[in-house]
Amino acid sequence: MRATYGKALPEMRLDDLGGKLVVIEGTDGAGRSTQINLLKPWLEELGHAVVDTGMTRSPLAGDGIRRAKEGNNLGRVTQSLFYATDFVDRLENEIVPALRAGFIVLTDRYIYSLMARAIVRGMNPHWIRSIYSVALKPDAVFYLRLGIDQLLPRVVFTRAFDYWESGMDLYPGHDMYDSFCSYQAALLTEFDRMSSEFNFEMVDASPDARTVCEHLKKNILQLLERDSRKSFVERLNADAAKERSFALDRIPTSPVHSNVFPVSFPPPTPAVAPASNGNGHHALNQK
Amino acid sequence: MEIGSGVRIGPFEVFAPLQPAVSMIRQYGEHHFPGRLIVVEGIDGSGKSTQLSLLHKWLESKGYGVVFSEWNSSPLVKDTTKHGKKKKMLTPATFSLIHSTDFADRTERSILPLLKAGAVVLCDRYVYTAFARDVARGMDAKWVRELYGFAVKPAIAFYFRVPLETAIHRLLDARDGFKFYEAGMDLDLSDDSVESFRMFQGRILAEYEKMIPEFGLTVIDATLPIEVQQAQVRQIVKTHLDHAHELRVRP
Repeated sequence: MRATYGKALPEMRLDDLGGKLVVIEGTDGAGRSTQINLLKPWLEELGHAVVDTGMTRSPLAGDGIRRAKEGNNLGRVTQSLFYATDFVDRLENEIVPALRAGFIVLTDRYIYSLMARAIVRGMNPHWIRSIYSVALKPDAVFYLRLGIDQLLPRVVFTRAFDYWESGMDLYPGHDMYDSFCSYQAALLTEFDRMSSEFNFEMVDASPDARTVCEHLKKNILQLLERDSRKSFVERLNADAAKERSFALDRIPTSPVHSNVFPVSFPPPTPAVAPASNGNGHHALNQK
Repeated sequence: MEIGSGVRIGPFEVFAPLQPAVSMIRQYGEHHFPGRLIVVEGIDGSGKSTQLSLLHKWLESKGYGVVFSEWNSSPLVKDTTKHGKKKKMLTPATFSLIHSTDFADRTERSILPLLKAGAVVLCDRYVYTAFARDVARGMDAKWVRELYGFAVKPAIAFYFRVPLETAIHRLLDARDGFKFYEAGMDLDLSDDSVESFRMFQGRILAEYEKMIPEFGLTVIDATLPIEVQQAQVRQIVKTHLDHAHELRVRP
């Protein structure tokens, strides 16, 4: 049975969510989406159905958040709550139904990024944790960790600084570089703080993508095997029980050749009378 | 605010950091801003908006700098809310969250800075509307109260108390029926919108009644003549504003 971090949403059943919820966390530029793009086809080849999701992809609030971020007037509390709306919409309409249908849900970021961003923006940690207490506890959280020194070249030489990734709403007086360093350092501190509280599986994100992916695959296989072994044992037990009840069905309660057709058939001789030997084999085969 | 220093503060000065959840809402608003926040609450058809607009006129005539803010009106968020309602894609949880997002934007953008600047801020509906509606939709009462922990406590919160049938007659005199979410049709209480409205608003009334002692709401009997209610409202507002020496005068 699944659990949330404290509060369950109205009418959300938690008892039949069979799939797997796998979270890929990490700061901007740690390679989360690259990994998800590698993991999804791999899992599908193995025969698992996969749904991937991520921030601002909800049909309800995704566009609204993008529009709000185009301007420079999105406040910190508003921002935190807009993201919470987006998250809960995906939780209720995407993540939970997929788990119920037995999918593996790969999510690019989860509540941890959202809480870290809110907390470095001065939100009360108790407040933001209370809001996300409705979130499902995942089966695994892989935290792709990358220090600022390694993060910087990736950002500088691939896509340049982004206003929000640099926390420019927090340090308006700084230039993008200084702001980026301060903001990402604050986020890393917050992630490290959450790491033990929420059981992050720490993954060194500094090697090349393929190496990181092999590491992730190994861990995900362990997760799937652990559960498939469990369900294999359950299935064996279920099969054995079915076998027993099947055998019971086949044990005749009275001789097969009773007095149904007393005239047409010769009366059964005692040698043939036990029509079944109790193992489901017909007595005639014993000849 | 110190980033990464381990010192954490709430969203605003008025937010009490790390208070136990239940007491949080009562502490949020012991603010010391020069302005005054006055809010009106009640179900649809209680006449609260009429009363607020009469109060607005009177305060302006007295020379106060008055600003009005309406529920669900943030320029940044209201399109998303409208989209969600039109497509009927809101659940009790996302209904609650998108309204809190709207309220957060209005708090950050206007209510808080205006109170700091010394304005009289009038709000048609406030956090109590969310508490009543969201809990009536099945959300956890404590969760919703914590969600709004960033709100500024009003100087006066008027609750216009009216029997359900009176409100329904007033509303149906003015229009044909009720909108989907307004009638709580998302809860499958009844296929008939008037019947659904009646059941849903009944739950909301029960929540308001619980909040009168919890938050010290000022109850006005909304079955009295409009003029009588307005006289009571002005009398109460006057006692609060007489002690406010830092209010801005109207330009």
